[in-house]
Amino acid sequence: MSSLSSPEAPASLTASASASASASAAADARRSASAASHRAAVKRRQRAAQWHLLFIAVVVLGPLVIYPLVRLVALSLSGPHGFGLQAYAAFFGNPETRGVIGTTLWILFASAGLASLLGVALASLLFFKPFPGARLVTRFLELFVAFPSFLVAFTLIFLYGSQGSVSIGLQRLFHLQAPPLDFLFGVGGVILAEVVFYAPFVVRPTLASFATLDMRLIEAARSLGASGWMVAFKVIVPLAWPGIAAGTILCFLLTLNEFGILLVLGSAHLITLPVAIYSSATVDLDLPTAAAGAVVMLVMSLSLYALYRQVNRRKAKGAGHGR
Amino acid sequence: MADELDPTVLPVMHMKARPVRRSLVVRMLGGLFLGFAALLCFWLFVLPVIVVALSSVAAHWSGTILPDGFSTRWFERLSSSDFDALTTSLEIGMGVAVLGTILGLWLALALEGRDRRGLGAFVDTIAMMPNGVPSVVLGLAVLIAYHKRPVDLSSSAAIVVFVQLALVLPFCYRCAAAALRPELTVLREAAASLGAPPSMVLRRVVLPQLVPAIRASLALGFALSLGELGATLTVYPPGFATVPIVVVGQVERGYYLPASALSLILLLVSLAALLVIAARVPRRRID
Repeated sequence: MSSLSSPEAPASLTASASASASASAAADARRSASAASHRAAVKRRQRAAQWHLLFIAVVVLGPLVIYPLVRLVALSLSGPHGFGLQAYAAFFGNPETRGVIGTTLWILFASAGLASLLGVALASLLFFKPFPGARLVTRFLELFVAFPSFLVAFTLIFLYGSQGSVSIGLQRLFHLQAPPLDFLFGVGGVILAEVVFYAPFVVRPTLASFATLDMRLIEAARSLGASGWMVAFKVIVPLAWPGIAAGTILCFLLTLNEFGILLVLGSAHLITLPVAIYSSATVDLDLPTAAAGAVVMLVMSLSLYALYRQVNRRKAKGAGHGR
Repeated sequence: MADELDPTVLPVMHMKARPVRRSLVVRMLGGLFLGFAALLCFWLFVLPVIVVALSSVAAHWSGTILPDGFSTRWFERLSSSDFDALTTSLEIGMGVAVLGTILGLWLALALEGRDRRGLGAFVDTIAMMPNGVPSVVLGLAVLIAYHKRPVDLSSSAAIVVFVQLALVLPFCYRCAAAALRPELTVLREAAASLGAPPSMVLRRVVLPQLVPAIRASLALGFALSLGELGATLTVYPPGFATVPIVVVGQVERGYYLPASALSLILLLVSLAALLVIAARVPRRRID
């Protein structure tokens, strides 16, 4: 727009003066003016985009995400006389919820750890040694992701409940007096259900990162005489680990945030963080105490989520360098 | 000379070729292992889907390996309140899917190429944050924020739409953002350089290219909304129920077979919706 503000303007003016209106100087001036106007337009567009983003942040994300979370934290920190930590004391002082963080973490590590191991093992099997029906299994794994989690817990009741098929089958097989399985409504059942439900969430990213492997490297390692284990640990794992790590962290995050399975299988005997928050919010109708528990849980899951984003970004960057 | 060299070279070649030839025992063990793995996969991931289908048509299933007999009485006995819950679930799901897709598309278009630093990175982080927030916590936060004046939504279904919208927004945003590829940017710039105004570029170039992503986003939002439990259970107003709430209530009271009839209907409806909406979505290549 304004060619005076651009740094090339004085140079072009002097050039046009000295060459006494020669055609090339006129073209130069025109070019620099058009460059300046283009720059100004870009700057204007960028400023408009910034305002647009700010508008979205205020109008869409403000009421949907930011304002509720701010209110949650504020409520958990407010006592009878303004600021206070009474809600936290109330949440963790309750004898029913004592040790709730320990229980939550224990279940998290047991089920997410098992699910990750199972998921990575299954993915390597499906990718490197596909058995008959592997495609069908992959299809079902994709279906599982759209499956509500409480439904998985619910189907396990028919299979492994004390009156379920597996239990009765074992009883008939070994001629037992009573059905042998009675673990479902408690820690065992919760861990089983979470492993079954969340292993597919590890399988998908692991399969995806296997799919980006350069198969020539594996063939080269094999033709140089590397055994299967050596190929796995010296070639495949170092190349595929960002994907595997991202899948594992995602599995931990989702398992930590799980609610339906805990409600169906564990609510009677097993107090975990989500169930404690839920019951103090809707059964005791004590919102400040529930908010205190929710803030503790929010800190845990958001730090896991930040880790996930970091690993994912590094993976994306690494892939960019590789290409 | 050559006769002496040959035997020294050949064994090396033989060594290299050896991993291909395995003994019979190893191959049988490998086969057994694969069979076991296939069985495990079937057992863990295929059986639950079959069980839901089977239990909803079982006349009675407790204390036996397979159901005693088959009947459709659980479907016939579904009360009008069950169908109300189904209708509510479908309506909420549609609303959440459409709104989430529109907002996700808007976010993705606004953030295209700007999600690395400054305000763009902040907006991107906030938009993706519900992915990392437990659904119960988000439900509680929305309940605290909107349960009394100045904005009181606690007695209307809008609060459920609101909380589910926050939960599906990251997925819809990712769907749309993944589809805004560099090739598309080239096309848009070509159209703009030929004189098309921005609204025309959006209507004639960008949106047609984004149709697969929009369908995938609708399907994902719908499926996630239908199965959502934690947040909905925390905020739902009195006299309101979605299918997951009804099913969990029945399971907790021990009515397993009616619950599985209702959840089979839910699964079939969401599967049908996924097929209708996303039938022709090309398989997403992850690269």
